[in-house]
Amino acid sequence: MIQLKSLLTCIDNSGASIVECVNVLKKKRPATIGESPQTRVMGEEPNGEWRQSNSLGNRLGDRIVVVVQKSKPAGSEAPTSSALANKVRRGDIRHAVVVRVKKELQRPDGSVVRFGDNACVLVNKSGDPVGTRMNGLVGQELRKRQYSKILSLAPMHV
Amino acid sequence: MAALPAMRQLGCLRSLMRTPKFSPMHLSSRFISTVYSKKPEPIPFPQNLPQQFRSQIPIRLQPEQAPKKMKVYPPPPSSRAVCKDPVAHVAQSQMAVLDPNGERKALFDYRRNPRSVKPGDIVRVTFKNGDPFNGVVLSIRLRGVDTSVLLRNELTRVPVEMSVKTFSPNVQSVEIIQRSQRKTRRARLYYMRFVLELLGSPPENLLQFRALY
Repeated sequence: MIQLKSLLTCIDNSGASIVECVNVLKKKRPATIGESPQTRVMGEEPNGEWRQSNSLGNRLGDRIVVVVQKSKPAGSEAPTSSALANKVRRGDIRHAVVVRVKKELQRPDGSVVRFGDNACVLVNKSGDPVGTRMNGLVGQELRKRQYSKILSLAPMHV
Repeated sequence: MAALPAMRQLGCLRSLMRTPKFSPMHLSSRFISTVYSKKPEPIPFPQNLPQQFRSQIPIRLQPEQAPKKMKVYPPPPSSRAVCKDPVAHVAQSQMAVLDPNGERKALFDYRRNPRSVKPGDIVRVTFKNGDPFNGVVLSIRLRGVDTSVLLRNELTRVPVEMSVKTFSPNVQSVEIIQRSQRKTRRARLYYMRFVLELLGSPPENLLQFRALY
């Protein structure tokens, strides 16, 4: 349930630590990492696989626009170690993908997952993550979208 | 004023000849019937009436005008006699498919089975399509086929809670890793969410914490 003014932790090494949501993209509802249960129509295929209707699109890993509110202290300001330097600074406006939400979200098999915080990963306009590392687990819902890069960088998915 | 016409002879006569008229007030009092009068029996249509006299009988009383007999269908047979409690029947049939030998049911029936999973235990749930999930049992929601168990763990310093439907075909196995150290006094251990916050720096994962606790 990420909406305007929601504060999220940024779990990548792009340099941002706390970001604030300023817009939710392609959606009129608060952003989350799972599809809202109201829009989901479920059923079981003959082969035992769960299927979901794509009539309203899979709302997995919603994209949001954020403002960096707090950046991590830069390790070294030397111009040579550009990889270590913060890629974003306080006040920057970036796109982000929600990877964890506090609001409980229901999976198609009926299980419910609730994370302890709201977290996101900064991405560029094309959807590639800005950072190169990630600390912290991400939701499995990202698997359904093209965020395989975020999933492979994350140490764990639940 | 009523006595006035009686004084004059002519006036008195006239009043006697006058047909009785009902004033509206009078009428209203007349409507209150105190005696029950039966509805008159309908006069049957005269038998053997010659055809030429038929026209003298008003049309509404002619036998053709009699109200048609409505066809009354008997109600469909009630399925209640067949199955008195369909919800229980469906639940039972689902249980027969999802848990044929009753093992899973016994594993979570913490009110009756002393060997079952209990709140405070650490369990590992293995899924058919994903990674297993370990966690402390915060609560067991016994609801027949919809029975679910709420697990909590801390993974990479992020608390994660997962409510798993125990009879889900996606759940391959549930194993008890560790029994709770001491008997919990509550059935729902939601306070575990806040105990960690009070500690300040949470341990690496909740499993260790629970073992200490």
